[in-house]
Amino acid sequence: MTQTQSARADEDVVMSDSAVVGFLREYCLECHNTQEAESGLDLSAFSKAADITKSVAAWNQIAARVGDRQMPPADSKMPEPETRTQFVRWIQSTLSKHICDDGVTAGQPVIRRMNRTEYANTVRDLLGIPINAGHALPNDGAGGEGFDNAAEILFVSPIYAEKYLQAAKTAIGHALKDPTDRQRLIVASPKEGQTPNQAARLVLANFLPRAFRRPVSKIEIDEYAALFNKDFAVDQSYDSAVEFALIAAMVSPKFLFLYEQPSAPGNQTLVSHHEIASRLSYFLWASMPDQELMQLADEKKLHDVDVLTTQVKRMLRSEVDSRGLRRDSKVRGFASSFIEQWLGTRALGREFKPDTSVAPRYDSELEGGMKYEPIFFFEDLLSDNRSLLNLIDSDFTYVNRRLANHYGVRGEFREQPKRVTLKESDRRGGLLGMGAVLAVSSLPHRTSPVLRGKWILDTMLGTPPPPPPPDVPVLEEATNKSGKFKSLREQLESHRSNPTCASCHNAMDPLGFGLENYDVLGSWRTEAGGTPIDASGSLPDGKEFDGPKELKQMLLNRKDQFARNLTRKMLGYSLGRSLTAEDNCVIDSIAEKLAKEDYRTQTLIVEIVKSVPFRYKQVTLPAK
Amino acid sequence: MVYPRPQQPCWHSPLTRRSLLRGTGAALALPWLEAMIKTKASAAEKDGSNPTDAPLRMAALFVPNGVRQDQWTPTETGHNYELSPTLQPLAKLKDQLLVLTNLWNQGSNIGDGHYVKTSGFLTCTTINKSLGIDLNCNGQSMDQVAANHAGRQTPIPSLELGIDPVTTGVDTNVGYTRVYGSHIAWSGPTSPLARELNPKMVFERLFRASNPKKETIARDRLLLDRVLTDAKELKQKLGASDRQRMDEYLQSVRSIEKRLQNQQSGAIRNWRPLVDLKPKDRPDPDAPDQYPEQVQLMLDMIALAFQTDTTRVCTFMFGNAVSGRNFSFLEGVTGGHHDTSHHQNSEDKLRQYQLINLWHIQQYAYLLEKLAGMQERDGTVLENSMILYGSGLRDGNSHNPHNLPILVGGSGSGKIATGQHLQYGPDTPLANLYAGLLNAFDKKTTNFADSTEILPGVLT
Repeated sequence: MTQTQSARADEDVVMSDSAVVGFLREYCLECHNTQEAESGLDLSAFSKAADITKSVAAWNQIAARVGDRQMPPADSKMPEPETRTQFVRWIQSTLSKHICDDGVTAGQPVIRRMNRTEYANTVRDLLGIPINAGHALPNDGAGGEGFDNAAEILFVSPIYAEKYLQAAKTAIGHALKDPTDRQRLIVASPKEGQTPNQAARLVLANFLPRAFRRPVSKIEIDEYAALFNKDFAVDQSYDSAVEFALIAAMVSPKFLFLYEQPSAPGNQTLVSHHEIASRLSYFLWASMPDQELMQLADEKKLHDVDVLTTQVKRMLRSEVDSRGLRRDSKVRGFASSFIEQWLGTRALGREFKPDTSVAPRYDSELEGGMKYEPIFFFEDLLSDNRSLLNLIDSDFTYVNRRLANHYGVRGEFREQPKRVTLKESDRRGGLLGMGAVLAVSSLPHRTSPVLRGKWILDTMLGTPPPPPPPDVPVLEEATNKSGKFKSLREQLESHRSNPTCASCHNAMDPLGFGLENYDVLGSWRTEAGGTPIDASGSLPDGKEFDGPKELKQMLLNRKDQFARNLTRKMLGYSLGRSLTAEDNCVIDSIAEKLAKEDYRTQTLIVEIVKSVPFRYKQVTLPAK
Repeated sequence: MVYPRPQQPCWHSPLTRRSLLRGTGAALALPWLEAMIKTKASAAEKDGSNPTDAPLRMAALFVPNGVRQDQWTPTETGHNYELSPTLQPLAKLKDQLLVLTNLWNQGSNIGDGHYVKTSGFLTCTTINKSLGIDLNCNGQSMDQVAANHAGRQTPIPSLELGIDPVTTGVDTNVGYTRVYGSHIAWSGPTSPLARELNPKMVFERLFRASNPKKETIARDRLLLDRVLTDAKELKQKLGASDRQRMDEYLQSVRSIEKRLQNQQSGAIRNWRPLVDLKPKDRPDPDAPDQYPEQVQLMLDMIALAFQTDTTRVCTFMFGNAVSGRNFSFLEGVTGGHHDTSHHQNSEDKLRQYQLINLWHIQQYAYLLEKLAGMQERDGTVLENSMILYGSGLRDGNSHNPHNLPILVGGSGSGKIATGQHLQYGPDTPLANLYAGLLNAFDKKTTNFADSTEILPGVLT
């Protein structure tokens, strides 16, 4: 993180309002005025601090772009570094003061359907059978911080009811086939002294609270027992009538939707014990609460932060067997959902498929190894409470046989990924050494320093560059003065001689060039097309580096910015919604705590679980 | 069940596959089904209903990333025009084809290069810039206006199909969720319609909807009644602003309820197809899951659904917005679709871009020819259809929604003036075409989104 971005509300405000007006006039208004309003931004009316609180998002962006030296553009007058820092600090502290002064506020109560992954995991845990009941459901898009659990985008199209009905029939049918699985669900049968109706009620009293993730009322049991009765009346078959009632429960919105009781408008209240059990389990397992969580909720113990902390640690646990392989774990549901969407590696094999001309040896085992490397790596950080900075650089990773071969890492490996200690000569470590990351930030047939640089700025540092202007100028001829074909580096350099392009590409391209030693799939190379790789770069702030090792060192120097961005992503994921300006106050305080506690992964999770947005809900009245 | 697939790409001989189907499948067709069809057909003849009563079907096929402009637009206009290089695969279908030049989508001329031009393609509105909160297309897509009008006549009101899963993530670069780039059908301002991506599942759905088992109808209705009551109860408990999601689910449940009810009561449809959906039409379970094969299977499903009147409205996306699909399965193409579309006037990229465009048109021709090969009592399914083809932007390099590449295939039961290339004044609203198609669809309206009139010359 640049020191400018660690500004806190309690630090001295170093710039006066009039000095800010002076700054804007000097460096910004030439383009961002009423007539031109470049990028839709008109700063001419600004006169005092209170003005910026009216457009928080825009000013956050101004702070990010000026702080990152993307603005003012390269061909214009530049502020002194100190002035730049003061300006950015002024924006941040003003915004932060404005928002956090009111105290941290909670968001709305949760109401959303389970997404496809959660549905599959929940059916698996509810019925205790290893099936993927969600395979026929439409897949979900992403919203907010980029995850598919964001309430805003979990639409219910007409096709859903039919899909849920089919999926429930198949899943229940499957679960009742095996006698042991069956016994877990059909806990009672009619017998001497127990009528079919009584037996069915026992089955429902066991099943419904688990399916609905909360205690159920007698009325609810009556309702489902009535359904049983109607079907039983047709052919007197206990089995099929009970099965029928269970299927109905799985098509009920009480099962399919995560929802919370609204509190009185305007009042911030703790979410109920059962509600927080679900918040926890859908955050850390992407599935329903287990028996222990349900019991703690029944005992009303889940408002106690110590109990929550203990539960978080239990839920993050994942075991390693005697061969050093990670066993199946529920936390993997979280590790894969979070990391694959944060890094964009879910696209591997989907939106991104390498071209066979550059990846003739790409096969399913290599793809599996690449896909699982970041997942197992992150699961390791979560379970063993390691530092999050391992994501920037680490002395270990997870590889399977094909991936080890691909990387040139030595050891005994099989198809399942296994932890391996990396040596300096392996030239790996951290996300930027991972094949999946290097692939999804490439084009199918070649690497793209632009895309990789953008990936670092966006994914790791949380400062995505703005889109290119609508009419991208055509690149000059791809030959240089001596008539030779220009290298990619030369082409991009001439591209950056255009000031419009340079303001962003000066920040993006050099970062990407630092990774040029990795080919499309992340294999190490020292030359491309007969030309030796030049992995050096210099950034807009003048810092120079050569190769991935120095690049990672530079990112470590910005570790607070990295940690803050990761905190933001994690908070967004944990809450399953888009974040608001108010949430920034929580991000700030968690990021601060992280820095104090060596960036421990469990600190991040525990602090989020203890935070106001996670434990409280508040109904806000719709704006008139 | 398995049947052989033709080795040749199907667009060269549209009837090959169908004849094969007939050849291998006829013996296995259920006798009662055949009998039933005969009865229906003769009943229709007996009561003297006009064979042109066959209903109109409407589909919209969306292609991401625009087209190579200099190869798209035919030089001449009117009836005696020469097909442009990219449109060559449609040569045999020229009299069933309408080429439209200079239509634009004003609502999508803002925001970003792709997302607004995808979600806005059939709505002709400006979508909200959003990563999730306040996601809104501010309208309804043209196909859904049609589905609302005719959907009750068929087991499935409309089919939404695609190949690519919803693209992961949000685009922080431009500030839009990629949900926008993965949907063209919107039943309402905040309701993009989820698509089916697997041809086999499409078939199962069509089959279930058109051939329900009697004994399950009653049970399913009982079950759905319970579900509806639960949904209503929850809706009462939720805060006012949260009720919309529950409403969506209620509607979703009610729509199957309604279908089952109609089937149980034997509600009479206004028209019976010549052909019913048969198990033997199920897609080959061993078909390769590669893109080209999957696209053709999807197009087969559209044809089947139209032929058997399981639905009359369908949308299909060849790819999501900004699709980077690797087209190197085509001879002479090495790059991803989106990257290639940013050709920057490089000769090599333009050549590849053209090959990708051409492949898409070949698929369109495949569908049209397939429909043309499906006889109805009078005419063919194609002659009773309007199959829109287009992209939300013209040139992939400049992303503008002026002069969009737009085609209509099928003469719409004689209502569409096919067989010509119509050129309009610059920036004529695309919505005017949609207003025309909706009118042909018997949805009397002069008003769709930013339409100013019914596009002159389109209707006969």
